Amino acid sequence: MAGPNAETLKGNLNMKTKLLLPVLLAFALGAVPAGAAKVRVVATLTDLADLARNVGGDLVEVHCLATGIEDTHGVPMKPSFVPLLNRADLVVLVGFDCEHAFLPALLEASKNPKIQPGHPGYVDCSRDIIPLDVPKSTDHSEGDVHPYGNPHYTLDPVLMESAVKTICAALAATAPEHQADFEKNRDAYLAKLDAKIAGWQAELAPFKGSQFVSYHEHWPYFAARFGLVYFGTIEVKPGIDPTPRHIEELVKAMKASHVPVVVREPQFPEKVPALIARETGAKLIKLPIMPGGVPDTDTYIEEMDYIVHAFAEALKK
Amino acid sequence: MMTGLAVLAFTLAATTSPLHAGETNEVEQLKRQLQQMQEQFEKVEAEQKAQIDGLRHQVDLLSATQAAAATQATATNLAAAPPPANAVSRGMYQELSDKVDQVVEAQKKVLPGEFNPALGFVGETVGSWRSMGSDQTGSSRPGGFDVWERSLELNASASVDPFAKGWIVANASADSATGESTFGIEEGALQTTSLPGNLTLTAGRFFGEFGRLSYIHDHELPFVNRPLVLDDYIGGESRSDGAQVNWLAPVDHYISLTAGLGDSFGGDDPNPDNPGAYRSFYGLNFWSRASTYFDLTPSWQLETGVSGLWNPRTEDRGGAILQPDGVTTLTEKQRRLAGVDFKFSYVPLRDNQFNSFTWGTEILFSDNNYLVDPNGMANSGDEYRSDVNAWGMYSYVAYKWSRRWSAGFLFDYLESPQNNNDETLAYSPFVTFAISHWNELRLQYTHTDHDAASGLQSDDAIYLQWAWIIGAHSHGWTQR
Repeated sequence: MAGPNAETLKGNLNMKTKLLLPVLLAFALGAVPAGAAKVRVVATLTDLADLARNVGGDLVEVHCLATGIEDTHGVPMKPSFVPLLNRADLVVLVGFDCEHAFLPALLEASKNPKIQPGHPGYVDCSRDIIPLDVPKSTDHSEGDVHPYGNPHYTLDPVLMESAVKTICAALAATAPEHQADFEKNRDAYLAKLDAKIAGWQAELAPFKGSQFVSYHEHWPYFAARFGLVYFGTIEVKPGIDPTPRHIEELVKAMKASHVPVVVREPQFPEKVPALIARETGAKLIKLPIMPGGVPDTDTYIEEMDYIVHAFAEALKK
Repeated sequence: MMTGLAVLAFTLAATTSPLHAGETNEVEQLKRQLQQMQEQFEKVEAEQKAQIDGLRHQVDLLSATQAAAATQATATNLAAAPPPANAVSRGMYQELSDKVDQVVEAQKKVLPGEFNPALGFVGETVGSWRSMGSDQTGSSRPGGFDVWERSLELNASASVDPFAKGWIVANASADSATGESTFGIEEGALQTTSLPGNLTLTAGRFFGEFGRLSYIHDHELPFVNRPLVLDDYIGGESRSDGAQVNWLAPVDHYISLTAGLGDSFGGDDPNPDNPGAYRSFYGLNFWSRASTYFDLTPSWQLETGVSGLWNPRTEDRGGAILQPDGVTTLTEKQRRLAGVDFKFSYVPLRDNQFNSFTWGTEILFSDNNYLVDPNGMANSGDEYRSDVNAWGMYSYVAYKWSRRWSAGFLFDYLESPQNNNDETLAYSPFVTFAISHWNELRLQYTHTDHDAASGLQSDDAIYLQWAWIIGAHSHGWTQR
């Protein structure tokens, strides 16, 4: 029996190479981030996406898992997010376990080692923030408690300056050749934010000490920043719907303390907050918890503008 | 304080009226006391103000000293500069420093269990009433009234090292025959976390990826009982001892491919298939799945997939299965199973915690090859090989209208994988009350219709399920 000649072997090799080439190419595409010219950022929430856009400018491509109307803890875990995260250089998150319901599983599915916790691409904006309401014990008798403290610091614009700096540092570490650009953008945005903060503080200054309740524990940082008093929540505990007894007790306490405002975050049903407002004579206001939560709040500054104006309007005698 | 004094004065004045001539001196005395108290108060106030000012001054000095110290590191001529006037004394600084050190030291705890895995525990109790006995329904549970601790599940998970994570699911549930609790490891596997090329390797004992619900634990199902087709065609949960590779396609659209092999697939029996003296490579089970996903609108989603399972030489999985005629036996020689599934869901972005809708369907096609023994007497010469084509499905809808309440309907249909003339249908409306995310009650009614070929009786059943979780609990992406 004649053995295979050199021509046949070469032909087989060429054929195998042709067949393997697309496969190898596909693997290579998986390993190398597409669009390497821009830093690919995936932010969990729209406020962080806005900050990343402001700091990164044209040098970054920012995607966001939320559209703005979701609950910060309830962004749907869509498989279409997985390819975005798979190719991301950075994932920017609130931290303090804010995204516990969707981000860990999405990161697991992303198969992207760069953005896993502990890696440089995992940009936790809570890094330099001192949390409020750190629970004394992490026990579910306290509801869906956040073990590291209340994660809703994004509603305090001063603390968000820290997030801006964290994002800038992460972008500079990823693309050091653009560090000067990122820092210039950061400083420009911080200057703009500083000016707005002064305006917001002046607008709410006459209402220092005013009390309010909200559906979920979104507002302790905001209240502390602007001198308001966070009276309580409509939820019994975080993530636990109000019971009739809780509503009755809350109404009684609000009446006794003359609490003038009830805040409803748009993702929660209106029925109970409206009932409480009616029973207590308080004003009911619907406030976004991130940009896009209500119309005309596409950026973080627009969102905070909306919130501050709405509070000031509601607290006017 | 001033108001308090005024009130005190008013009170004193009020309680001493009307005045009698002999009480004039007493009034004067009280006035003097009041004046003394007021002077005393003003003195204390002044002292405290001075103290506050002093402390504030010290704080300013300390800040200035710290700033000066920072500058000192870079300044070249600071050594010659005189210390700032009224600088904080070395003793005060040391005292503060010691206090800070004490706080820092208190945080340095020796915790031998610091690397322990995250632990969680699941309990699941099912109470039921069935109109027929188990001899007439083929159920592993008795008819009439029954209470069953179906799951007592301990979960532990942690990173193994920078390259892998591991988890264990141990389950103890009451044996349906003896009532004794049997403890077993449902899952115990390692999964890579940093393989290149979008690959993940899972190895150990785990639930292999086939279809939609076969790798979901009982307590996470949207209804009380696992669909009949998954019980009959897969053997319940898709447990296997083996290895599985998953690949995420490096494209903008979500495409996931999985392939695995293992010594068994599904079933409660931990023994491997065909445990003979020698098993060839084809004695193993091979499975694969391809799935994808579409955002139809921001709120409407479609997830779909196809799955396959092949065991080329089953040999005797499940042993010789006695048929309803009481004589014929079937011994499985080759296992072939294919499935197609989809989940169509409405998950509104804004209020998905309070409102959602799901329609899930899975259709399975079985094409097993059996050794048929008509007289049930082995090696009597009348045996022959036969393929049996059968199919089955389940389809369910579930609607959630508040954070706590949801309801749905499950439809089951299947042909027996050993006899495609033997059909079973079941209809199960259910309602779920989620007291919280970790504590759930479910009520379900099930009417089951068995074909005459099965030799079983139709029956009605009511189930009440109570499932709860303590501690950490997460089954990850595949169980979403």
